[in-house]
Amino acid sequence: MRADGLPLTPSMKAWGLTRSYGSGDTKTYALRNVSLEIYPGQIALLMGPSGSGKSTLLAVLSGLLHPDAGTVLTLDKDLWAMNERQREAFRLEHFGFIFQGYNLFPALTAREQLEMILKWGTGCSARDATARTSDVLTMLGMSKKAHLRPMQLSGGEKQRVAIGRALIKQPNFVFADEPTAALDWKQGQHVIELLRAAAHDQGSTILVVAHDARIIPFVDRVLHLEDGILYEGEERPMELYGGPTAPSPGYIAQ
Amino acid sequence: MSYALSTLWFERQRYLPAVLAVAFSCLLIALQCGLLLGLFSITSIPIDESSADIWVAHPDVPSVDLGIPIPEAWQSYLAVPEIAHTEPYIEGFAYWKKPTGGTELVLIIGARLGPDSIGAIRQLTPELRMLLSETSSAVIDEGEFTRLGIEKVGDTAEILGKRVRIVGTVSGLRSLAGPYLFCSLDTARKFLNPPPGQCTFILGKCHDKEDAPKVVERLKAHPRKLYPFTTQDFSFHSQMHWLTKTKAGIALGLAAALGLLVGAVVTSQTLYSATVASLKEYAVLRALGIPRWRMAMMVVSQAFWVGIAGIAFAIPTIFGIAFVGAEVGAKIMLPYWLLIFATSITLVMAMLSGLFALRSLRMVEPVTLLR
Repeated sequence: MRADGLPLTPSMKAWGLTRSYGSGDTKTYALRNVSLEIYPGQIALLMGPSGSGKSTLLAVLSGLLHPDAGTVLTLDKDLWAMNERQREAFRLEHFGFIFQGYNLFPALTAREQLEMILKWGTGCSARDATARTSDVLTMLGMSKKAHLRPMQLSGGEKQRVAIGRALIKQPNFVFADEPTAALDWKQGQHVIELLRAAAHDQGSTILVVAHDARIIPFVDRVLHLEDGILYEGEERPMELYGGPTAPSPGYIAQ
Repeated sequence: MSYALSTLWFERQRYLPAVLAVAFSCLLIALQCGLLLGLFSITSIPIDESSADIWVAHPDVPSVDLGIPIPEAWQSYLAVPEIAHTEPYIEGFAYWKKPTGGTELVLIIGARLGPDSIGAIRQLTPELRMLLSETSSAVIDEGEFTRLGIEKVGDTAEILGKRVRIVGTVSGLRSLAGPYLFCSLDTARKFLNPPPGQCTFILGKCHDKEDAPKVVERLKAHPRKLYPFTTQDFSFHSQMHWLTKTKAGIALGLAAALGLLVGAVVTSQTLYSATVASLKEYAVLRALGIPRWRMAMMVVSQAFWVGIAGIAFAIPTIFGIAFVGAEVGAKIMLPYWLLIFATSITLVMAMLSGLFALRSLRMVEPVTLLR
């Protein structure tokens, strides 16, 4: 519910998502009829054991992996009904990503890693790119380290640059895969606070995949995925424990 | 600084093999061609060392040492205001019968010997010209004695059964084919027997050397179908004839192609592996929706800068080697057009290698970042 009591409109709706790997006897399901809604201005945490399908769900929702079945409706557009080029343009306009590794170009400074996205992606002028990059670096507390290359930065600083790269386009959605995994808790906490601020201040929809339960107090909502089935909340509900063939709880709404 | 250039500088150790391969290609092409030009410049010595500005030949003449007789009377066609002086020039191959037995093909070059002669080579001093005014006397390069089977100035041999005497020597005029025999027009006529009133070339000297190309253009339009050249053009024409006729051009082409191939393979592989090393970074860009062509441009601009860096290495090295070559007696000619040719072709090679390395970008798959 919004502060004024009106219901939130989801920024992304997905239903019937199924995705399998392999075929025949070796066929395994990473997603089984998963449905969910996520909302703008919120940070949602997707948890679950290793191999539960978290990364697959993130990939399907973010337009990187085609589902076997199901629909992802985002900003009223069917993500998987688009052709490759349209989806690429859609990602460019609306999606930001943070991956487990920092994946920064070793030769480029923190500033260049961010400016590159604006210059190559949005075609904005060099002056605008510089100004916007400065703003984002300040927000990340990295303005004094803008001239440093990845090898001169700590793990936490590198991750902040990676977050900057995801946020610089001011995307409607940010998908983060284990953004705190390689960091100590103090740095991890800072990272999650930055993401939380992006959701609450800029109204972005943020979906974080993580193992670390210490993040839970910082997020607005927790989703749990196990054996390809999605549940609302931190734990898989006891009554649903019934083995791998348990039916999907179906549609999960706020 | 562009991202490509920053990357190249920061990871210079990675890109060094490619830079060196480009430098090697450029070096090989420039030096091979330069050596060959140096070698074939010998074929145009009589042209380069004369004082003429214009050469008129028979339309079928392929090179200075392969002249075909034309009427001396054609000198009248050169009676234009820009030309100050004309004279005939006779040359051709003849068999030199060595006193020691056997024969040697020699190239007889006959020109006027007066102080205002435009056909005689500059190395002929007034003393030598005086000596050459005696019929049947000739001057040779000081290094040709052994080839001609004689020992010293004053020795004699036979051409067409007629006695010829060496009256002096010059230096630096050794030939590629038969030794040059510099002599007077009369001597040349005696040994070459051209039809009466005929010579091999007609030479012209302009009041102002700068007018030569203009006069040549006018002579080309002459109804008599003259075949006129400026001295520079005729020199080039002669060298190119030898370059193609001797198939040395083909050998040169193959050697240069090999150099280019080595350069292309190393450059392409270096760029390929550098791109593969950055696949994850490129994959993030792809996930963020950055179009693939932006990354392709990055690789191609890296190729461009590798090319530029290689050329920057190559140029001073080329001049260094040419200098050392000159010290040990290997003439390497490096005209500016050759350097432009060598650098352009290596730069194109580097860029094509970059295009070939683009196949690595096909491996960029953002979903692999999600484990």
